[in-house]
Amino acid sequence: MNPRVVALPLRLTLLVLLLALPAGAKEVVKLAFIGPLTGGNSAIGLGGRNSADLAVKLRNADPAARYQYELVVLDDECKPDTGVQVATKAAADRSIIAGVTHYCSVVAMATVDTFHRLALPTVVWGAVLPDITYSHSYKEIHRVNGTMVNQNETAARLMLKQGYRRWVVIHDTTDYGKGHNKYFTQFVTAGGGQILGTFGVTADQQDFTAELTQAKALNPEVIFFGGLTPIGVRIRAQMDKLGVNAQFQGTSGIVSDDFIKGLGPLAEGVVAFREGAPAEKLPGGKFFLEKYAEQKYSNPPEAYGPFAFAAASLLMDTIEKVGPDRKKVLAALGEVKGKDSIVGAITFDDHGQNTVAAITAYVVQDGKWLVWEDSEYAAGKRRLKGR
Amino acid sequence: MDLLAQYVMNGVMLGLMYALVALGFTLFFGVLNVIQFAHGDVLTAGAFAGLAGYAVAVHAGVEAALPQLLTVALAATLSMALLGAVLGRALVLPLKGAPALNVLLATLMGGTALRECIRLFYPGGSQPQRFPALLPSASWSLGRFTVRLDNLLMLATGVGLILGLSLVLQRTRLGLAIRAVAQDEETARTMGIDFRRVVLLTFAVGSALAAFAGVMNGLYYNEVNFGSGLLLGVIGFSAAVLGGLGNLSGALLGGFLFAGLQTLGAVAMPFASAYKDVFAFGMVILLLAWRPTGLIGERLGERV
Amino acid sequence: MSDAPAWLRSALAALTLAAPSGLLLYGFLSAELEGRVGLVLAAGALAVAGAWRTGWLGRLVRMAGERALVTAFTLLAGGLVAVFHDDPFVLLLMARAFIVLVACLGLHVQLADAGVPNFAGAAFFGVGGYTAAMLGRGALPHPLVLLAGGAVAAAAGSLLLLPLLRTRGHYAALITIAFGLLFRTFFEVNESLGGPQGLKLAGLEILGFRFNDDRRVLGVEVSGYAGYCLAAVAMVLLALVLVRRLERSWLGLALDAVRLDETAAACFGIEVARWKIAAFTLGNALIGVAGGLSAMMVGFIAPNNFSFQESLVLVSILLLGGLGNVAGLAVASLIVVWLPEKLQPIQEFRYLLFAALVVMVLVLRPTGLVPRALRRPFGSPAA
Repeated sequence: MNPRVVALPLRLTLLVLLLALPAGAKEVVKLAFIGPLTGGNSAIGLGGRNSADLAVKLRNADPAARYQYELVVLDDECKPDTGVQVATKAAADRSIIAGVTHYCSVVAMATVDTFHRLALPTVVWGAVLPDITYSHSYKEIHRVNGTMVNQNETAARLMLKQGYRRWVVIHDTTDYGKGHNKYFTQFVTAGGGQILGTFGVTADQQDFTAELTQAKALNPEVIFFGGLTPIGVRIRAQMDKLGVNAQFQGTSGIVSDDFIKGLGPLAEGVVAFREGAPAEKLPGGKFFLEKYAEQKYSNPPEAYGPFAFAAASLLMDTIEKVGPDRKKVLAALGEVKGKDSIVGAITFDDHGQNTVAAITAYVVQDGKWLVWEDSEYAAGKRRLKGR
Repeated sequence: MDLLAQYVMNGVMLGLMYALVALGFTLFFGVLNVIQFAHGDVLTAGAFAGLAGYAVAVHAGVEAALPQLLTVALAATLSMALLGAVLGRALVLPLKGAPALNVLLATLMGGTALRECIRLFYPGGSQPQRFPALLPSASWSLGRFTVRLDNLLMLATGVGLILGLSLVLQRTRLGLAIRAVAQDEETARTMGIDFRRVVLLTFAVGSALAAFAGVMNGLYYNEVNFGSGLLLGVIGFSAAVLGGLGNLSGALLGGFLFAGLQTLGAVAMPFASAYKDVFAFGMVILLLAWRPTGLIGERLGERV
Repeated sequence: MSDAPAWLRSALAALTLAAPSGLLLYGFLSAELEGRVGLVLAAGALAVAGAWRTGWLGRLVRMAGERALVTAFTLLAGGLVAVFHDDPFVLLLMARAFIVLVACLGLHVQLADAGVPNFAGAAFFGVGGYTAAMLGRGALPHPLVLLAGGAVAAAAGSLLLLPLLRTRGHYAALITIAFGLLFRTFFEVNESLGGPQGLKLAGLEILGFRFNDDRRVLGVEVSGYAGYCLAAVAMVLLALVLVRRLERSWLGLALDAVRLDETAAACFGIEVARWKIAAFTLGNALIGVAGGLSAMMVGFIAPNNFSFQESLVLVSILLLGGLGNVAGLAVASLIVVWLPEKLQPIQEFRYLLFAALVVMVLVLRPTGLVPRALRRPFGSPAA
């Protein structure tokens, strides 16, 4: 063997190896952000990402901050398997200290075990399924936004007050849709309303002729939809095509600009409910909206942006206090009581859940989501379907 | 009764869309003995091209629905005719003579590349896009069954296209050339038919048909999605196979048969209409097991 | 040098190939910044191209022989696991690549050896995973659970045998495509098997040794994933031995005949149907076992994992490595699994990239980057 020829590749690889060795570390602290950045829910995901990014930028511009923060953005595509993959990636990366995680409840449910196993403290910013914090006793999972229970109670009350009595429920077959079905049915029937029929649909279903044809035969006053924007758009559009003349009522899953964009004039008069107040009415809302506008992001913060901002700020405050150590951050998060934030005071109960008192009712008026009380529908100048 | 009528109407619309895709598959197979698996994604690309055409028309100040519709249709069909020819030239013709699996794989991957390009490079491509409602939305109710004018219009146009295709194939020189090449390529070439030109034209025509189906799909659901082409392509292929590859009336039969299977599945299992796809594909597999070359057999000869 | 005993020569040749590869892999896996990753890649590509062009690569490979090479690279894998003992991310990547390799070996038996196209590879992978999910919490010891995953996948595949045997070419391809779609839709709609939410899995546990736990070995922190990585390496080894033995046996000869020309093979008395069934079933079993381990390692399984797109990725790996070339297959699996993870910018574009690469390979070099070697009859010298 010619030693020179053997040595050349060897020398090359040694050179490369030297170059590949990591450089000296700076005091940069990494936070992970996980949300649906592509796919039908991307508007909300991007809004959340921009909001978290805003929080990081504002902190980095603050000369009093002890550390430099970096946001590692990961896309869970609103799919549980992708979510687990990126969650594993984030949690397995020792340089990431904490995570601001998930809008899609299905994904958040799937990654709970991953974050516990790899010991990454996380704060959920948009998923509303109660099980995410209550079905286990892992210390790693916290949540700043509310759960769907209160949302449905208020929804039932308001719609019953409008005089509606007959509902058909269409929900997606994930725990998110099923959860909405369960709670809404419970509150509506307790209040004297009637659920004429319930249909489960898959999360990427295209054609709803079968369900809507049967629903039409039942002659409901309202169609309650428990699910996310993409199917919400399809169902509402196909309701029109099949001549189903009922009021459309949705949950927090459809409170997004994409819903209105996807339907155009058909979105008019659609009602939905969400926990938390709209950004303008939050304690720190004006400040948040001002700073957000300054950054000129190409997407609006959408419904859950403020929560993502609050989650990121909370995590950074905690890291400033105890240092970039996962265990210390975890312990500190367990003690959060009455902590000030733009969404109000944050207190985590023994399951890491923050209590959010306000439930907001929305209605689409002239191509925009308006708070019910501020709309012409509440004032009586416009009427919902069948009223 | 009127419930059933609604299902049937839906089934007929779907059947037409599938038949249009199946026709493309069968045409390509007849002419070149290849399965062009990017066909479904050409359908989606056509729908997106139509959407882009709409955006341009609106930007240029076109307000009325009819010219907008024409722009959409033209943009879709012409651009896809071009794309189809390019695919034929770049992907399929060079692989002539390679094992059939290679061509299948090349076109499958080509379709994937097309789909990913739409997802990545069309603005907002990864989300479902709203397709404008350009057809008149008048409708009549017969009991609980609603007949819509736009559905009838699409049905009429689709049928017209199929008749037109059949006319072209039976009455024109191009059609004669296509049938000749489909029957026996070598003899056709000996007879002076420009093989490559025929192939590229066939690809153009088939892809234009798919583009029309894509626009139809967009108008029907008021939505286009970058991923819808995959399923439609597989369904179109199944339909073409069911009817026997290379057989045009078989493609029509297959398209409506598949839609019929789906509708049957939806009616039989109203609690979970998503099972209709499982049912339909399961039936396809069974039918292929029973009749390996389709219901109306493929004209298949094998040189040993 | 040529006087040295054969085993020494082959050992040294294998070492000469393994050592720089090891350094390259270490550099690649440990690099954090994309720039460094690119540098390592460039250096690696240069080194490999240089060795190939000067003929040294071929010479060393021949001198080493298969057994020495496999041993050397297995030791290398073990070494890498030891080096990255507390980095769960790298260990996860390695384990994933090895698991994908096993699944692709299954596909290799089906497509490259027997010529039976399988576009539902991801579906069978999923069957193995769901079996592991269902049986994993029960009393059955986990090694058996993994084997059961393979068995159930093979059984699922047998549903397709009748239509597959009766059809050829694109019809056969359609059957597997339809099955893949059917499978995914079924699991998404059916609630009893988790539905669209998927299922969570308990981790692998053999004789009380729980793979999920991090532990201290000889005073050093070892991540839970190290165990999975070693299990995956063991699986690769077993699968490789199985597949190579198969290819060298009469079964392999029969499969070659069936693949190249079914009619001629039938004329020679080879029972085409039987060998196709054997290859298809064995391939699915391998895919199923790999799926079981993968599901247990990730701890989660959902229908979305098993889309047609994923099946196409597996087939792409086969094509990119060169149909019939096991070494190429191994390299392709590493590249397809690791590159998008390490080069974040291409993560989004990975499907597009793989599709474009496969199209280029098919159009420009249909026999693969390294053409398939002809089978050598006994005793004749190498070409």
